[in-house]
Amino acid sequence: MGRSAEVSVIEKTLRQRQLPSGGWSYFSSKQASVEATCLAGLALGSDSRGDPVSTLRFLKKSQLSDGAWPAFQGDSEGAWTTALALCALTVLNEISDASNRALRWLLEARGIEGHWFWRWKFKTSDRNVQFDPDKYGWPWISGSASWVIPTAFSVIAIKQFTVCNRSEASENRIHLGVEMLLDRGCVDGGWNSGNSVVYGVPLRAHLEATAIALLALQDERRSELIQRSLVWLKKEADSVDSVSSLAWCILSLFVYQESVEALKNRLATLLGDGRDIRNNATLATALLALKCGEMIHPFVVLR
Amino acid sequence: MKLDRRRFLGSSVSVAATVGIAAEWAWPKHSVSYRRPRSAVAVLNADEYSEKIEALLLDGLRLFRLNVLGKTVLLKPNLVEDVPGPVNTSATLVGAAARSFLRLGASRVVIGEGPGHQRDTELVVQSAGLKPHLSERQIEFVDLNRDELRKVKLKANYSGLGELWLPRSVLDADFVVSMPKVKTHHWAGVTLSLKNMFGIVPGMKYGWPKNLLHWSGIHESILDICATVPIHFVIADGITAMEGNGPLQGSARQLGKIVLADDPVAADATCARLMGFDPLRVRHISEGCHFLGNLREDRIRVLAEGVGAPTRPFSVLPEFRYLFAAKS
Repeated sequence: MGRSAEVSVIEKTLRQRQLPSGGWSYFSSKQASVEATCLAGLALGSDSRGDPVSTLRFLKKSQLSDGAWPAFQGDSEGAWTTALALCALTVLNEISDASNRALRWLLEARGIEGHWFWRWKFKTSDRNVQFDPDKYGWPWISGSASWVIPTAFSVIAIKQFTVCNRSEASENRIHLGVEMLLDRGCVDGGWNSGNSVVYGVPLRAHLEATAIALLALQDERRSELIQRSLVWLKKEADSVDSVSSLAWCILSLFVYQESVEALKNRLATLLGDGRDIRNNATLATALLALKCGEMIHPFVVLR
Repeated sequence: MKLDRRRFLGSSVSVAATVGIAAEWAWPKHSVSYRRPRSAVAVLNADEYSEKIEALLLDGLRLFRLNVLGKTVLLKPNLVEDVPGPVNTSATLVGAAARSFLRLGASRVVIGEGPGHQRDTELVVQSAGLKPHLSERQIEFVDLNRDELRKVKLKANYSGLGELWLPRSVLDADFVVSMPKVKTHHWAGVTLSLKNMFGIVPGMKYGWPKNLLHWSGIHESILDICATVPIHFVIADGITAMEGNGPLQGSARQLGKIVLADDPVAADATCARLMGFDPLRVRHISEGCHFLGNLREDRIRVLAEGVGAPTRPFSVLPEFRYLFAAKS
């Protein structure tokens, strides 16, 4: 089976798993996940048989009154998925007030270090974790600290949505988020989930966090950390056998103009017809990775 | 009567203490109690992870006369990261436990985990070597970070969280087995069967790591979670344990034990004693003994082997030296 035939079989599998609400759950439940829905919507967005209308309808319906999105249908608390939803609306060309409200929420949201009291505590007494609390990003949910993946997605979402009309507030928030990511890089390159050193011991980088952080930094000056992280990611991508991590490696390396054909072949082998991949977020990410270069990259940031 | 400063302070402290005791009596922090008159523990000797473990474990489980006939058993191992070292519960032990419960009559065994740091659960399951054990028909793996969720009112109120969204697979299980790796922990002191239940809290809602639980108090969150989702049985992997800067960056420590218990507090107290720690100095264990299970040795019936303190206690970070048991 050729690549395009493989892709269309996987697209069909993913389409069949769409819920009547227009969303997708992670696995086979009826509880739609905003992450799975955004990734599936992006993966099928360019597919002529896809139905971005129902995905967009789901997203607009599930937006909370404060402009945020919850992590899943039924929850009423804003989450990191707001960034992913804003990316989806931007890439799927949905022009509405929903995006403006999402941007406003993202500009307000911050990790708990955004509060002076916690910054002071981290600087004076809580020193087992080494990081600069002045450089804060976004949390997974409010009431917790900044972490790499939500910060990276938030930076990408704001960069994409404000590319033609960037306010000072957006510029400042992007800058702070980028600074936070650069502050938390691991010693050998890449990113762990949050901090890079705990109790004086350097932490090991994670593939997914590294790939997504690099996507957020794609238009920044190629610092030594970014360069080192790219080298680390390329090396690790060659041996990883997990579909999700490999797919994120491909999506990230592609925007840095690295060759991803061999990785795509390996991903296609791991995927088969996609039916064994029960996690819809994983299947959608894999589909995006396989279609890299053949569609608009959903996380590309224009300079 | 003249009220001088000393008297005023003394009276204030007395009033505060009385109010505190009254508040605890009027608004207890837990609405359930799983404590029984006596709990049972078995400490099995096992020097290595081999095929022999399954027979050893099955014999050990039979000592407890468990009723799992026709039940759905949820095994909750501790699978944290795809890193080398004794970080995760051994897949050999998890596989042996799954097959043993099927042999004891369980209709279905679900292995459920929601890794706390690594978002790619498949990567953790692969690197832990669990995949070959999932090929049997009645054994399946559930990613608790992404399972369907239900909002649940917590049955204790130490953390102030009030409620949590928890996975359907956990709430629907008939028999929950916590399978921790015996390790030191750089925030909680130790990570055993009670702390292991952090892994049922879903990342899709609370993130990777489940940082809200840290901010609400680790010991407090452990107590609230374990009050809400009772642990029916414990199989602790202490064959190769971890000491020092656990739970990820510590050193391997050959302990050569598997601890079985029908009570998580008794299990954790026993493991803590095996590590050379005083269980009363671990806050979630000492508080848990008021309602989650038994800590005192005279309330724990030992079904197999005894619990001697190790010749050398587990090493800890300097902040946790207070855990060491006094030499008798």
